[in-house]
Amino acid sequence: MSGHGLELQAIRKRYGSLEAVRDLSFDVRPGEVFGFVGSNGAGKTTTMRIVLGVLQADGGRVLWDGAPIDFDFRRKIGYMPEERGLYPKMRAGEQLRYLAQLHGSTALAAATATDRWLERFGLKDRATDEVQKLSHGNQQRVQLAAALVFDPKMLILDEPFAGLDPEAVDSMSEVLHERAAAGTPVVFSSHQLDLVERLCDRVAIIQHGRLVALGTIDELRGKGPLQVWVDAPAAGGGWASGLPGVRVIRTDGTRVLLELDPSTDDQQVLNAALATGPVREFRRHVPSLLDIFRHAMTEVPVAATA
Amino acid sequence: MPLRPDLHMVYLIARREFTTRVRSRFFIFGTILFAALLAGYIILQAVVISRVTTTVKVGFSGDAAVLAQPLKAAAAPERVKIDIHQVASAQEGEAQVRDGKLDAAVSGDAASSEVAVQDQLDPTVQATLSALVKQAALNRALKAAGADPGTIEAKVAAADIHLTLLDPNAAERTQRDVVGIFIAALLYVSLLLYGQFVAQGVVEEKANRIVEILLSTVKARHLLFGKVIGIGLVGLLQLTVLGLVALATISRFQVISLPNIGVEAVVGGLLWYVLGFIFYALIFAAAGSMVSRQEDIGQVTGPLSMLVVGTYLAFFWVVANPDNPVAVVLSVIPPFDLVIMPGRMATGDAEVWQVLVSVALTVAAIIGLNILAARIYTNSVLRIGTRVRFSQAWRGVD
Repeated sequence: MSGHGLELQAIRKRYGSLEAVRDLSFDVRPGEVFGFVGSNGAGKTTTMRIVLGVLQADGGRVLWDGAPIDFDFRRKIGYMPEERGLYPKMRAGEQLRYLAQLHGSTALAAATATDRWLERFGLKDRATDEVQKLSHGNQQRVQLAAALVFDPKMLILDEPFAGLDPEAVDSMSEVLHERAAAGTPVVFSSHQLDLVERLCDRVAIIQHGRLVALGTIDELRGKGPLQVWVDAPAAGGGWASGLPGVRVIRTDGTRVLLELDPSTDDQQVLNAALATGPVREFRRHVPSLLDIFRHAMTEVPVAATA
Repeated sequence: MPLRPDLHMVYLIARREFTTRVRSRFFIFGTILFAALLAGYIILQAVVISRVTTTVKVGFSGDAAVLAQPLKAAAAPERVKIDIHQVASAQEGEAQVRDGKLDAAVSGDAASSEVAVQDQLDPTVQATLSALVKQAALNRALKAAGADPGTIEAKVAAADIHLTLLDPNAAERTQRDVVGIFIAALLYVSLLLYGQFVAQGVVEEKANRIVEILLSTVKARHLLFGKVIGIGLVGLLQLTVLGLVALATISRFQVISLPNIGVEAVVGGLLWYVLGFIFYALIFAAAGSMVSRQEDIGQVTGPLSMLVVGTYLAFFWVVANPDNPVAVVLSVIPPFDLVIMPGRMATGDAEVWQVLVSVALTVAAIIGLNILAARIYTNSVLRIGTRVRFSQAWRGVD
């Protein structure tokens, strides 16, 4: 898949004795919304900073369109750091124009784009307000505008949805999809897995600096062991625990969620269920990203590929 | 013609620093207040000095008018200035003294003049007048005795003491010392204040994490240079305003009799501010980059502030011992020269070679500091959390 978009090859970063990122490789294609998921301290922010060039990797390469990423390209990355960063005493409009110019826009282009984004986020009449006088949600909007105002070639957003109200989440999602549709790769990290599931074309899950899962949500769902919901109301509790190659994951009233070993035939499980009486439900469980995430956290890292 | 991209970045950063700071209430009101204090101080000095150089308005009527020009010529101009007025009569003169329009009214015969004053006459004027009247009486007596007062006067005039000037510049020296201390004080305050601003500016960006966004598009050393230049220009603007206010006040109130001292001192002071500011700004920026919160700035800038204060205190000793070899050494070696040399230039103690050595050493120190500060800043500015140790900042590893 190399040659197009962003590619990380075997990135390594160590802070003293802590290996923050270990041999991390993945790629993000143009037009893709890419979710970056992991617990706190998993290495997401470190990885993003390395892509931005704000941090130096100890090893590995970051490529754009097959060539090592350089400073000129990095300047065209729209970045939203996890800890929000704006000058509190600078006016919103002035700040956006300044940041746009720092990213290489001309004064005129900076002014036009600033007006456009402020209008888009409903902040047109707040342009001359100091950022510190804006509400939290509006500060977040200015922060996102700061990442967009110079027409970036790629977006890297660290927890962009943290602390946003539902309305702001919607408008931010809309903007991200719009940018992706225009061909800009969008990478964002989030703890809100339902959002990631809804927004992302592909997801990378990392743990202790290592990639544990990578792929589309459907691919990741397909990777886990087969799980089935069985509702056999006549069966007593624990009917399934004796079955070979079957583990009971959860019990919900008369329903049980079973996890089947790869060698176990689901039809035999169905037969076993039918043997206890009527079966009202027998269906494959579609895991949520949260399930996949939890599973990935407990599994030995798999060398997943997309 | 657009600037080179790197320079353009530095320009944008410097411009932001400059415009946001110059527009701030702190700068505007601070400058006005500072200028008012400065002008007030100079005016106060002027008042004190004008007590020393009194102007005495003397009105003459009748024969006594012949005394007017000799009196004016005889009075020491740096202490007493005589304003001569013609009055119609003795009564008119007395009336004007009563009204306060004149300090003294001289009337009557030149050899036995009547002098009307309110309650007292300036002792110098009194002594001079008295001598002139005696002279007139003497001339008259000589004439009566048949001698030619002109010949005798010429002989008397030829006889004089031989004055050897042991310290011809003593008066100038005092003025120069005052100006020098003034310049040194102004520089020391500015270096301290604007150095602190640089440290605060660095920590501000670190504390609110905007530095992450900035460093994704700007190289750390360009951010550092832009900040130093922008803040430095704000200080330069403020000092220039203060310098002009000081010069205007000095020339309006004629505080110093040597007008060039003021202009030279202000121009020299501004040039030295530029050098001194760059020197300290780099150190303050590097120090600031090692902490993450405004509350912690004191830890790293405290020792630096002590250093600036120390150089200022050393200047007082240098002024008192201008020819001491230690004074000469201190006046050429950074960081002492940054406050001491401009002071010594104003006092007139610095020789040209000393100035050149001092500038050369300072520029060399700035070049070295630039490398050092850029390295520490680059390695520290993204480290959020506890204070960065110097070894970490230097090596860039944990």
